Amino acid sequence: MSNFEQSESDFYQSNYATDIQDQGYNDSGAHENLYGSQKCQTQESPQPDAFVPLEMLSSQSYIGQILQPTYNPEFLSHSSYADSFDEEPPLLEELGINFDHIWQKTLTVLNPIKPADGSIMNETDLTGPMVFCLALGATLLLAGKVHFGYVYGISAVGCLGIHGLLNLMSIAGVSYGCVASVLGYCLLPMVVLSSCAVFFSLQGILGTLLAVIIIGWCSLSASKIFISALAMEGQQLLVAYPCALLYGLFALLTVF
Amino acid sequence: MADPHQLFDDTSATAPGRGYAAQQSPPVGYPAQGSFLAEPMSSFAMTYGSTLASHGKEIVDKNIDRFIPVTKLKYYFAVDTVYVGKKLGLLLFPFMHQDWQVRYQQDTPVAPRFDINAPDLYIPVMAFITYILVAGLALGTQNRFSPDILGLQASSALAWLIVEVLAILLSLYLVTVNTDLTTIDLVAFSGYKYVGMIVGIVSGLLFGKTGYYLLLSWCCLSIFVFMIRTLRLKILSEAAAEGVLVRGAKNQLRMYLTMAIAALQPLFMYWLTYHLVR
Repeated sequence: MSNFEQSESDFYQSNYATDIQDQGYNDSGAHENLYGSQKCQTQESPQPDAFVPLEMLSSQSYIGQILQPTYNPEFLSHSSYADSFDEEPPLLEELGINFDHIWQKTLTVLNPIKPADGSIMNETDLTGPMVFCLALGATLLLAGKVHFGYVYGISAVGCLGIHGLLNLMSIAGVSYGCVASVLGYCLLPMVVLSSCAVFFSLQGILGTLLAVIIIGWCSLSASKIFISALAMEGQQLLVAYPCALLYGLFALLTVF
Repeated sequence: MADPHQLFDDTSATAPGRGYAAQQSPPVGYPAQGSFLAEPMSSFAMTYGSTLASHGKEIVDKNIDRFIPVTKLKYYFAVDTVYVGKKLGLLLFPFMHQDWQVRYQQDTPVAPRFDINAPDLYIPVMAFITYILVAGLALGTQNRFSPDILGLQASSALAWLIVEVLAILLSLYLVTVNTDLTTIDLVAFSGYKYVGMIVGIVSGLLFGKTGYYLLLSWCCLSIFVFMIRTLRLKILSEAAAEGVLVRGAKNQLRMYLTMAIAALQPLFMYWLTYHLVR
């Protein structure tokens, strides 16, 4: 709280008077406009020129009086973000998106026979799964079915169920994010199935066979990753069965 | 939590402070990430929010143990593929199995992974969910499918399961049987019949009504034998369980009870599946 005390004292030391402030806010739309334009400002340097085209603030002197006293380096030093623009971490790193890991995990899913490395699931990464869910929804849309709500609903309920089951079956527990991440990554073959559905109808022997193969592929990779991440022996088929039920629901959405 | 006096000061100071902050923004841009978090009011709010969240989580964790005994449930899920395979075979063909006694290890029963006679919850839960999906499939092939019908099937099956378990518990209480059957054991045993139901429905889908009746009667017979042989050891007294005929009202009553529970299973199996196969 000391920061606030200090900034409060800074406030009272600043030069511009409060009556000008009241004048500025008497305009009805001025407040929103001023605030809105501030949001578009970049963070690194003050840009007084951007306020000139605003019609609401008529007097140039008013603008000048806003800008001058407020660029207070003491206030800025209390805020952590602008130590220096160069010291900020890159955006992707800050958001936690690591393209290399995403690619590695995708490769693990695409090759269900190769044994998986248990440590890849250490960081919960939900970007890849979100992308795959959106891709599934988009390919379903291309086939003429608007089922975004069903996709999200089924994945949420399915993740909850599998999370509960895995917590009961394994000695070490899992977090919900890890389960959601694995199930989302293994949705990739389902996207392949639904893109096939765009070109030819899946309601037939060939379509059923393809759907069964894809369900098997999805559930085998999901169970493989779960087994290696949770060190459960002799339970791969037991974990694969509920995953197969979940992906079967998605296949039902895609085929019918 | 920090003193509420501070909270009051913060909210009263934001009125003139808002203008100040707005005036601040033009040169430095809208303080998006860093300085927003640096404002003491918002950092206080964040820590308060996170302590609230962790406190809530603690309460949930503490109370969920009162309603759902998680560690006891974990025993029923300690299964592996070999056990599940053997148990499914036993459920469909129990006639050759000789030893039905559950093995114990210093007063606690051995985990299902190591003893095929121990009840588990994985098979009943998976069988229940598969039954609902297969019922949906069966209704779909007859063009009677809609998503609410699935929910209807699920809730009616669950309701019948609860009724059955309560009835068995009540009768066990009335007969004053001294047994170590827990409620979860009873749920597990009642859930085993879903395996037979699934087999019946699938054969009905593939082979029509003849196939359905044939395989359903086979599954009814096997679940009847399975229940009698399993429950006999748990409900009847030691002597009667070993096959020695002990005459006495008590033992006879217990024998009738076991047979009634076992006979309930085929009844439910038929009741819950006949409308799915046309």
